[in-house]
Order: sequence, then structure tokens, then C-alpha cells
Amino acid sequence: MSSSSQRDRRRFSRRDFVRTSALGLFSSSPLARALAGGQTQPWFEAVPAERSGITWTHTAGLSPNMYLPETVGAGCAFFDYDNDGWMDIYLVNSGPCDFYTPPTPLRNALYRNNRDGTFTDVTEKAGVSGNAYGMGVAVGDYNGDGLPDLYVTQYPRSILYHNNGDGTFTDVSAKAGVAAPGWATSAVWFDYDNDGRLDLFVCRFADFSKEKNVWCGGHDPGQGYYCKPSVYKPMPSWLFHNNGDGTFTDVSRESGIAASLAKAWGAVAADLNNDGHMDLFVGSDTAPNPLFMNQGGGRFVDSGFLAGVAYNPFGVARSGMGVDAADYDQDGWIDLFVTNVDHEMYSLYHNNHQGGFDDVSLRTPIGATTELMSGWGLKFFDFDNDGELDLVIANGHPDLVIQQHHPELRYRQPLLLFEQKAGSWKNASDLAGPAFAQLLAARGLALGDFDNDGAVDVLVTTNDGPPLLLKNNAGGDNHWLGLRLIGTRSNIDAIGAKVTWKSGELVRHRSRVGGGSYLSSHDPRMVLGLGTRSQIDWLEVEWPGPGGSRQRFTGLPVDRYITVTEGHPGWQPSA
Amino acid sequence: MIAGGAVRNLSLLCAAALPGAAVCAQITATGASVQQGIQLVETGRCTEALPLLERGLPHVTDKALRYRGEMAEVRCAMAVDDQQVAADTLFRLQRESPGDPEVLYIQTHMFSDLAMRAARVLQEKDPTSYQAHRLEAESLESQGKEDQAATIYRDILKDHPNVPGIHYRLGQIALAEAGDAGPTDAAQAEFEKEVVVDPTNASAEFVLGELARRKGDWSVAIDHFTRAAHLDAGFSEAYLALGMSLAASGRFADAKPPLQHYVQLEPDDPSGHYQLAIADAHTGDQAGARREMALQAEAAARSKTMDTTQGHPVQ
Repeated sequence: MSSSSQRDRRRFSRRDFVRTSALGLFSSSPLARALAGGQTQPWFEAVPAERSGITWTHTAGLSPNMYLPETVGAGCAFFDYDNDGWMDIYLVNSGPCDFYTPPTPLRNALYRNNRDGTFTDVTEKAGVSGNAYGMGVAVGDYNGDGLPDLYVTQYPRSILYHNNGDGTFTDVSAKAGVAAPGWATSAVWFDYDNDGRLDLFVCRFADFSKEKNVWCGGHDPGQGYYCKPSVYKPMPSWLFHNNGDGTFTDVSRESGIAASLAKAWGAVAADLNNDGHMDLFVGSDTAPNPLFMNQGGGRFVDSGFLAGVAYNPFGVARSGMGVDAADYDQDGWIDLFVTNVDHEMYSLYHNNHQGGFDDVSLRTPIGATTELMSGWGLKFFDFDNDGELDLVIANGHPDLVIQQHHPELRYRQPLLLFEQKAGSWKNASDLAGPAFAQLLAARGLALGDFDNDGAVDVLVTTNDGPPLLLKNNAGGDNHWLGLRLIGTRSNIDAIGAKVTWKSGELVRHRSRVGGGSYLSSHDPRMVLGLGTRSQIDWLEVEWPGPGGSRQRFTGLPVDRYITVTEGHPGWQPSA
Repeated sequence: MIAGGAVRNLSLLCAAALPGAAVCAQITATGASVQQGIQLVETGRCTEALPLLERGLPHVTDKALRYRGEMAEVRCAMAVDDQQVAADTLFRLQRESPGDPEVLYIQTHMFSDLAMRAARVLQEKDPTSYQAHRLEAESLESQGKEDQAATIYRDILKDHPNVPGIHYRLGQIALAEAGDAGPTDAAQAEFEKEVVVDPTNASAEFVLGELARRKGDWSVAIDHFTRAAHLDAGFSEAYLALGMSLAASGRFADAKPPLQHYVQLEPDDPSGHYQLAIADAHTGDQAGARREMALQAEAAARSKTMDTTQGHPVQ
């Protein structure tokens, strides 16, 4: 072989080949993107603070010492804390800890939905302001009293806020035994042992404290940067079993969860092999992504390696951040998604039905589009209610000074919207509206229909900045049914339930997964898209264990929310 | 000075060693002639220095003197355009002083100089030859002027449709133009023409395999990677890509031989161990899977390339 052909071969090596160019990614003007498609109303419209009343801003406490937690927070949630049928909003902030003393007091924020597109800050009355360096939030009704409770992850200890039902919450972390000392990130409520009670999985990031902080870069002013997490040791995450009496037992070791060390950011619980047990997938940064397959009997085995999700195809761990799970192609098997950082591309893992997953992102625009991007929160959802699952992703590089060293990269990056039509993916960000041209240091991402119009809205948090509330204008073009599931024998939040619906020739199913995204928690209701079809033939709910029954419903309304309760015939209109 | 000192020390040793006086005299004389050659080089008298160095250096045992002499010989040989001597001496230096920065520096210059001279001669002797045009196109390509390069490549093909490597270059340019998100049909067509013109082009087969792999067209990918590996037994990435494609299409048992070959060729690359572990596990070889998982973990831990700029020293 000639030297030139050898050179060419090197030039076109596998690593070069799988890398993709994102030329033009940041170059198109916001105006051009906003006007693309000639839409009269953007699919997504930013609701400004002066209109929503959400004036709270995240404070990262960015310091010259560049402690890693400063650049990764924080999360958010849509949840209905007062059970009035309208989604309220919770936002997580930084706070005091060994490496940070806020110059003025910081607090998380709970905003009550005023049912008119505005929100009122009720944090003080509710008593959910946090007490340390906040990271994320997971919402779940752990005691089954019909009131959603809050688990707020923090460094160095997390909080379980019990919802008292009168607009206030009580910190029950000590009694419950779920403080999780360390750097907790995302958390997921799910029933791993099918006993009908919600258990709690808490991601732990690296072995970190002020004393263990690592300095990266030169020591002259301006030469430091936030370290790549490879300089920190991975740690085991936590699994807490719900004892049913307001307390939890740490079963991390006996369950097998603690056997896998990771630097866990995001987690999602779903039944990935259709065996009736909820599995866990975890995004891990510079360490293999664990895939905890539930063996039953309270045992998990990390199958990430052989399932093909732990590493990239070349056996190297990527920087797994946010994750989600959904059967995007409706083949009956739940697929996975992971956001990674620049030059790694995000991973769309298609379930191959044999215990493995194939990263198909390169066969979609997702691979090329995300080549130079760094992702955090994400979620599969059907934004336009056409019956196909789409995907929204929050992005931003972890390092504030990245552009100084890598001019091709940006610290602030736009949101991404991928639309699925007839089984193929399209980057629809250009069509989504000016909000998707805005450059953000986005982190958390939660879905929720805050105005109850059936179009699922998006809440995005930014590091050291205000949150971004995006009203969805696209979902109203199609018909839909909103569904609130209440478990009675199974867990009350119906995590793990599978819903199938038929409308004319359209037959779709959707599973209610636990968690997903990054540091964030979502509207528990499901919105089922019907496209232009104006009626539902039937809807079937397959409840998770221990119930496991199927219920079929007919004569359902459309374009409104209903409540279905396990074991109860018929449905009720939602509040 | 070091070499001169060495020669003096050698003379003193020889003076004390009466039984070997004749040998010592020869060594001393050789060292002296090399030292003289070096001094001539330093004064720019290469034509006089070279014969002395060529004769003397093979007999010099003092490493420092030999190193200085050979470096002087290389410089002189390049100055008088004696390419053979320059290359021979440089390769000898490389063998005797592996990794020596000065040797590598001189080597870089020498080959660059040789390339420039050859290009100049080509332009002078036959400026209309396709080789001259090809050189010009490659130069343009290296400067990022790929459109201009492509024009020249196409002109070459008009008169010389069967020149190996031209379609390959056009394919590479088409790929670059498409970006990884763009259509690759044009590039694929060029690579397909290339393998018709030059059925031994393993690189073209490899790229065709990758294009198929990207589309998930496993059987086509497997065919191309098989040919690439067959054409160039040292083409390690072809074995890896072949194994990956076979595994991706569920042919785990078939994937093992190319992957096993790959890990022999590239034991420090976690990729091969990773893929082989998966193939082993799917074929029931749990012990093999565990072994390869461990090797993958070791190799990944050693690997410094994480392909990310998060925490961003250039990697």
C-alpha cells in the first residue's frame, strides 16, 4: 500500500468517521431560524418572567476555586402539590456547604399555579427552601396519601419533604433515613420489588468534598477550568426500600446496586425486558453507564457492558449525563437515550429484544447534530400530539471558558427538538421557535402541561441564570387525551404502567417510566396524541405489580384530562 | 570536544596496552580521521570530509565520536545532494540512537527536502504528466482548496481513467463536502469506481464498508471489510470493523476470529476487547467474556483519549 493511501486511511479512520461535523450548528441566525417554516405562531413560546411571575434565578456560586458542583446544577419539577389539577413548579438552587457560603441567603422556589398562566411564589409558606447545595428533585407519593412528596437532592445531604396536604411540607429526611450523605444528583421513585410502595433510587456522583476538590489548568489568573470528572473517583449510588411506615432501608449493597461504581448524573426506571420488573438505567460521566436489570427478589445485576450501553462502540466510557426511556418505535420494547458531551454524540439506544441495545444515533440526525454539543436534561414526548414520540434536549458545555480553548465549541448552546415522523427522525429545532435559537447554559428539563391545554410544555433550568418556561403551541393542532393514573394495589403513582390506545388505524402504547431527564421531575399525567382523529376506540391500562391487571375503557372523551383508578370501572374527569 | 577527548583517552589506553599496539594504532588513526572529517565539515569542506567520514566511521567504537561523525556526514551528504549516503547514515543513526530528538529533527528536514527536490524535478522534467498534476492537486487539497483539487483530479481522469487513487481522492473530497450529516452518494460512487480501477485498494474497501455500516447495512459492510482485511493483512481497523459488523448483525461466532486477530494486533485498544467480550458472551464463552472485560477495563484505564473537551487540555 502506498504511503498516500495509508495517509488517507488514517485520515478516514474509524474515529474520524464516526465523528460528525456540526458545521453551521451555531451559525444560523435566530431570526432565520425563527422565521423558518413561515409559522404564524412558534411551536414553543418562551413565557417571560414578567408574564409568568417566575422571577427566581439560580445562583451557582461560581468561584475561583471551580468546585465541580458549581457548573452542573440545577433541576426543576412540574408537580401538583395542592392537588388542584394544575401543575405547580419547583426549582432547585445552590446553598451553603463546605465549599460555599452564599453572600446572601439562597433558596429553592415553589411556585403555585394560579390557573391563568401566572404563578405565585409560595416557598416560604410551604417550607421547601432547601438547606444545602441543591442539585435535583424527584416527586413521588411515597406514603400513598394522595399528596405528592418532594425528594430534593443536595450536596452534602439530601432532603425528603413530606407533603402535609395543607400547603406545607415537613422535612422528614432523618426519620425516613434517606439523607444520602454525599453528592446526590438525580433521584427516581419507582417500585422495584412490586410491593405497591414507591422506593427511591438516588444517583451519587463522584467522591467529592471541598478537601477532595481537584484543580485543573494553570495557576495564573484565568487559566483554571472546571475539571473533567475523570479526575474524581466513582461511587456507588443508593437504593432505599420503602418500609411502608414512613421509613426506608438502605438496600444498596444487598440489592447489588452498590456493586457498580459510577459517576451518576441521570437515571430512569423502566421495564426494559418486559419481565414485569422495573430496571434502572443510569447515565455516568467518564465511567461506564450502569444498566441495572432487575432479577426479582430485590436483586439487580449491572448488564450495561454486555447490553452495549456502558461504553461507546470502541469500549471507551463516554460522559453520560441525562437519560430517558421510551418505546420510540412502538415495537413493544423500551429504548434508551443518553446525552453525552462534545465529540461523543448523544446515544439513541434501540432495544434489540435480546438483552442488548444498538446505538442508532448515527443513523438519525441526532448523531451529527450533537457532535459538538453537550447535553443534560432530555425527554421523549409527543409535542404535537400526532401519536409519534419526539425528543427535546437541553444543552450547554460544562466549562465556562471552553470557547477560549476550543473555538468550535460554545458554553451556551441551543435547545434541540427532534421530531419523529413515520419512523424517521428530523431535527426540527429550526421550526420550534426563537426559544430554540437562544443560547443557554441549560441543565435541568421537566415536562408538564401547566395550562392544561393538552400541549405538553417544557421547563428548562439554566446554570446561574433564570429558568425558561416554554409554552407549547403545537399540541393544540391535534386531538389528545390526558390521563392521570392512580394505582391502588400497585404504586399510587402508577410508575411502570403501560397504556395502549386505539383511534381508528392508530394504535399506540406508552409506558409510565420513573424519572428520566437530568435532576428533574415531570407532570405525572400522560398526554396521548391522536393526530387528527377525534375519538378513541378504546384505551387499555396494564397496571404494574403487584396488581398487574389490565383494564379496558371505551367511550372516552377527547381533548381533556381524565383520571383512571386501578380496579375502578370507568373514568372520572380530572380536577 | 567530547569526541576529541575520547580520541585522546583512547590513545592513552593504547599506549599502555603493548600487546595490541598494532590494533591500537589503527583505532587511533581511525578516530583521528573521523575527528578530522568533523572539523572539515565545520568549516564547510564537505567534499573533502565525506571520504574521511565514510572510511573512518565504520571502525569507530566510541559512541559519542561516532554520533558526532554520523551527524556531520548526514549534513554533508545533504549539502552535496548525495541522497543515498544521507539516507543510509540517517537510518543508522536512528537505529543507534532511537528517539534522539536531534536525529528525528534532521530526519524530518531531510525527507522534506527530498520531497521538495523530487517535486521540483518532476515539474521541470514533465510538467504535463498526470503525476505532476496529481501532486499539484494533493498540494491544493492539503491547503484546504478541495474544489480546485477536485477539478484537477477530474482532468486527470479524462486522459487517464484508470489511474489508481484518483477516484479515491475524489471520494474523500466528496465526503468532506457532505459533512457527516450530508448525503454520501457521490462519495460512495467514487469509491466504487476506485475499487473497479484498483481492486487492491484496501482503503477504498474500508470506506465503502464504513458507509454501509453507518446505514446499518451489515451484509454489505461485512463484504467490504472482509475484502479490506484480505487485501491488507496489517489493516487492523478493518478486522475490528468486520468484527463489529458481524456482531451487530447477530453473527457473534463469526465475529470472534477477526476480533481475536484485532486484539493481537492492537492489544492496548479497548475496542477489540470490548467487542470480543460481547461476542464471547453471546457464544457462551463466559470465561472468555470475563477475561476480555478485564482487558477492556485495563486498556480503557490506560487510554488517555476520551474524545471530549470537558476539562479541556488538548487531547
